Amino acid sequence: MKLTTLTLTLAATVFAAVALAHSGATGVVKERMDAMDAMGHAIKRVAPMFQGELGYDADAVREAAETFRSHAGEAMTRLFPKGSNGKPSEAMDTIWRNWDEFAALAERLGTYAEGLSLAAGNGLVESGGMDAGALMGGGFMTSGETMMGGAAMMGAGSGMAGMMVGHEPMMGVEHLAEMPANVVFEMVSQTCTACHTRFRADK
Amino acid sequence: MGLAIRAGAAVIAAAAAGLAAISAWPVGKAAKPITVAGDVNRGAYLARASGCIACHTNFDEDIAPLAGGVALETPFGTLYSPNITPDPLHGIGRWSIEDFARAVRQGVSPDGEPYYPTFTYPFYGNFTDQEIADLWAAFQTVNPVAEPDRPRDMPFPFNQRWTLKPWRLAFLDAPRTDPAEDAEPLWNRGRELVEGAAHCGACHTGRNILGGRDHDNQHFRGNRDLPGGNKSPAIDTETLEMRGWTVANLAYSLKTGLKPDGDAFGGGMGEIVLQGTRFLSDQDRRAIAIYLLDAHGAEAAKPKAETRKR
Repeated sequence: MKLTTLTLTLAATVFAAVALAHSGATGVVKERMDAMDAMGHAIKRVAPMFQGELGYDADAVREAAETFRSHAGEAMTRLFPKGSNGKPSEAMDTIWRNWDEFAALAERLGTYAEGLSLAAGNGLVESGGMDAGALMGGGFMTSGETMMGGAAMMGAGSGMAGMMVGHEPMMGVEHLAEMPANVVFEMVSQTCTACHTRFRADK
Repeated sequence: MGLAIRAGAAVIAAAAAGLAAISAWPVGKAAKPITVAGDVNRGAYLARASGCIACHTNFDEDIAPLAGGVALETPFGTLYSPNITPDPLHGIGRWSIEDFARAVRQGVSPDGEPYYPTFTYPFYGNFTDQEIADLWAAFQTVNPVAEPDRPRDMPFPFNQRWTLKPWRLAFLDAPRTDPAEDAEPLWNRGRELVEGAAHCGACHTGRNILGGRDHDNQHFRGNRDLPGGNKSPAIDTETLEMRGWTVANLAYSLKTGLKPDGDAFGGGMGEIVLQGTRFLSDQDRRAIAIYLLDAHGAEAAKPKAETRKR
């Protein structure tokens, strides 16, 4: 009897903890959390294909790309009215101090998502990074690796600021459409990471 | 009364003498001349892997690459990463390669002063002369920036550099990068990166109240008290496996920032990926993942207690 009560209490506590992350959110905060969740589900569905753990499915990748696109750009930024943070939101004040940068990342997500949709049919191209000759980032250039040359990497010439995802010049959709799907997916993912790094509080 | 004053004076004199002794106590060893030629590309690669760019570049304020100025709010006060561009006045332009070697491997400045361990030199101690020469060659390609270092803001006694001397004696261990004879080459490469250049333990290993890493109890168990009030999760094998990490998705996360649950890193780890690990080879990212996810190998390669202290 006592054990049952204890088990129930424990179960309730666990439920509460799980629900806590996105609970208590209302209005735009809830809306944007739901949008992030939707994108997270899409990532979870297709990421294993790019990790070689699941067979490649171009339709599933197009579907995921459409999910990202529908939550990018304006659809994203309109959910971040000034000052709409504080508990339970994880949004940082830096969003409104650097609004142009935030908006540019949201825009970039949309462009890359469109590119991914068009590139989905190109399939995967092995980057061939398993031999020593590829140590310096051989294989296909991704957004990050176009500047792998040592000097540029250290910040000479064009400058390191250009290396930060979000600052580097954005590739056009037509260009992205020609690239292997895995490379464009990496660019989408790195855009998520860049935005979280700049604008989401560390949990 | 007179006796008390004399006793007090004696105590003060003894303390002053002790302090003078500690201040004069030399740290580190003289660096032997480095004569090998460096390779810029290899050096830039190692600089990425080691986090030089991430920590010495203030992206928030858009200050030039490697010109420093990133604040680290530690429990002991706030420090700012210094300018390590080749500027002769504000950077390392007047250093010799041997000065550089001593700074990176031993954490000792050209003047013989110990650096605060916010600079992760404790992980770089096993860099070879070749690696130092490569890094040095790469740093020569950086644009010099005349950006003065920001003074650290630390309360007494932590603002006293001599306090680092006993700290070094107590907590400065050799990096655990030594290869295990019976391990796969990729596992050994992962060990070299994880325990060395990539310095994962700096954030993912808990520290004692004096800021020394607690290898025995806290190795890769996460840290809830990181600079700036941040937290890092545990990355020991059991925890990683429990949270759905595999070699494939962990290696991939170091390139993209994606986590197994569909989320993407933010904070410090996002920065590590964007400024560091996404530039590594697929093979090196895989090596890191293999090492982290193979506890058995780690057990086999555990260094003997008596060889660990330096």
